[in-house]
Formats: sequence, C-alpha cells, structure tokens
Amino acid sequence: MSVIVANGLTHWFGNEHALDSVDLVVDTGEHVAVLGENGAGKTTLLRILATAMRPTSGRLEIAGLDAHRERRRLRHYLGYTGHALGLYPALSAAENLEFFCELQGTPRSRIDEVLEAVGLAATAKRRAAQLSRLILDEPDASLGSDAAELLARVMDGRTVVLATHDRALANRLCPRTLELRHGRSVGTATRLRVVK
Amino acid sequence: MNPFNVAVAVARKDLRSEWRTREMVPALAQFIILALLIANFGFQIDSHNAPSIAPGILWLALVFAGLVAFGRTFAAERDQASLEAMLLTPASPVAIFAGKAIAASLLLIVCEAVMLPALSLFFGTPLGADMVAAVLLATVGMAALGCLFAALVARVRARELLLPLLTLPLWIPFIIAGGQAVQSAMGLPGSYPEAIGLLIDFDILFVVLTSLAARFVLDE
Repeated sequence: MSVIVANGLTHWFGNEHALDSVDLVVDTGEHVAVLGENGAGKTTLLRILATAMRPTSGRLEIAGLDAHRERRRLRHYLGYTGHALGLYPALSAAENLEFFCELQGTPRSRIDEVLEAVGLAATAKRRAAQLSRLILDEPDASLGSDAAELLARVMDGRTVVLATHDRALANRLCPRTLELRHGRSVGTATRLRVVK
Repeated sequence: MNPFNVAVAVARKDLRSEWRTREMVPALAQFIILALLIANFGFQIDSHNAPSIAPGILWLALVFAGLVAFGRTFAAERDQASLEAMLLTPASPVAIFAGKAIAASLLLIVCEAVMLPALSLFFGTPLGADMVAAVLLATVGMAALGCLFAALVARVRARELLLPLLTLPLWIPFIIAGGQAVQSAMGLPGSYPEAIGLLIDFDILFVVLTSLAARFVLDE
C-alpha cells in the first residue's frame, strides 16, 4: 500500500526553480534514498514531504490525507530531521526528549528504549517519541563511523525517505533511490539483490 | 494532547534554559539599574517632581527591557532551528505561542522585581501593591504583543529593527494607562481604578487578538 504519493511537486524560490514536477510513491515500510548534488532539490523535497513547507504546485498525499490541509493530523506520525538538530543545548538529552514527547503527544515510556537503541542510555534515562514515518535530511552528517548501523536500527520497521550525498550509504540503507538534478527527477533505481 | 500541557511544557523549557544559561535576566536587570541610575543623574530630582518624572522613567526602562526580552524569545529558537522542530509536532501553534509568552512575561516580571524597589530607592517614590498591580497588568498585554511580533520577525533579516517599529505603537495604550495608574499610585491626581480598568480591557483585547493571530504567524 502506498503511504506517500507525490504528483508533480514543483517549487520556486523567487525566480529559482528548486523542484520541477517531481513524482514519488513510497510504500508502507519502504526505504527510499534521495540522491543529488548540492542544490539539486533534496532538502526542498524532504521539507515538503515533512509538511514544513508547501510546494508552489503539485499534490502530496500521506496516508491518504492531503498533506497541507491535514498537516496537523499527519504530524503525529511524521518525523523530520533537517540539517540543524533543533535541540536545546541547555537541556539534557532526556529533557529534550521529554519536551518533544510532550509536544508530540507520545508516551514518555519509550524514551529509555529509544535512548538504548541510539547508544545514549548511559547519559539520559527517560522516554522517546514513536515516529513511524521518517524524513531524514543527511542524517549521517553529524554521526560517527557507525552511522549506517545506527540509522539502520532507527529505520527498521518504519517508512523512510532520506536524502544523502553518500551513494554507498544510500545503497546500504535503502533498496530504492530517487536521483535529483537541478530540481528534476532523473530517475529511480532499485537495488538488485544477489541471491546465491 | 492538551494545549494547556503544551503551553506549560514550552514555558518550563524556556525557564529551565534561562535558569541554566542565565543569558537574559542578569543582563536585563543590570540594564534596568543602569537606566534608572542614569536618569537619576540626568534629572534634577527632588521630592516635588519625583512622582511626575519617575513613572516616565519606569515605563521607558520597562519598554526597552521588554523589547530585549521578547526579541530573545524566538531568537534562541531560531539559532537552534528548534522553532521548526516544535512546529512540526502536532502541538497547537497557539499553545506554543502561549508558552513562549508566559515564559517571557515571567522573566520580565523577575526584572520588574528588581526595577520597582530600585525606582523607589533612586527616586524616593512609594512602592505599593497598587503600583505593582499596574505594572503586572501592563506586562501581560505587552508580553502578548511583543511575543507575537517577535515570532513574526524571527525569520526576517532586519528583525532587530522591525520588532520595535511594529511593537512600540501598539504598546502605547499600555504606557498611557499604565503611566496614569502609576502616577495615581504615587499620589498625583488621576483615577487609579479607571486606569486599571483600561489596562484590564487592553489585556483582554490583545491576548484574544494575539491568540487568534498566533496560528497564522507561526504555522503559515
């Protein structure tokens, strides 16, 4: 079943074309990597998918709902990590998670489990948000050498669209990729699995 | 999720951050003391003219401290890109706005707790509950307006210039009614109940208007 359906997503920043009629369909539980050079439109596409911005034209449905009109409802199920982490440096990891749990309406009982999964249990001792659809913009940028393993654990069982420059990481984490060039989709690819 | 809980969570987070970093309150308190000190040297103050000069100085110091306090409310969020993280949750933008306004008001009230005794000390004016009530009532409406415009200009390049230009004209009613209430509290002619009534009316009007506008300012 398709959970994200984007048709003809187009976005202009002034006179600059950031996205040019991009179509994307993502099925439940599928992992899709968006590839492209700087300025290709990856961040714009991800921000639109995360309901952080509205496209100039085109239609986006997430879980069968209009992504603009129903954005507040959809935000219960969407998680977005942009270039900036959006955390409060004066608060501990657990306090940051507690705060966003409160806003997300997520039970705090999951913070321990999630902190354990990302290797932060020793530094923070409470709950975390349950996000089943993730939009990740270069999530490996601020992670160490074990980024791929960590991301694979976080992405497991979720529908994920992530943007990265790292083709190897994309191929490792996502069976399907969408390549953007100058705001235009230049094709999708499916990783071939070698079966012995 | 309950909007009240969201507002409390946002206010608690802001107050906790300020408690740990102590970025704003000590600087603002210092600014207020310096402003009062300069005014004390700048004017020929005696027991006759103090009640007519002191209220003006009080409101001037409060207005400029308020501009800094409310300007910082969203500046910190902008620096950390955390405003977008908050807005991408299903929490109501109005509740987020209310939490920010409550936290900013409480921080300004802490500064007022320094300012009012200092005013009394430097100018020899009486410090009573009626004066405190007038300043607190003005703070409510000023905080609502200040936070709304701070949110509006947070993503604009010339925000430091725009915030006073947008906010000061709409703070004038609070300065007029608040000034009248404080002058009455200091023994000058004027109706204190009438001025307080006006402050309450302005508070209700601007809290309702800013709550309605906050959704569009933050979410669109």
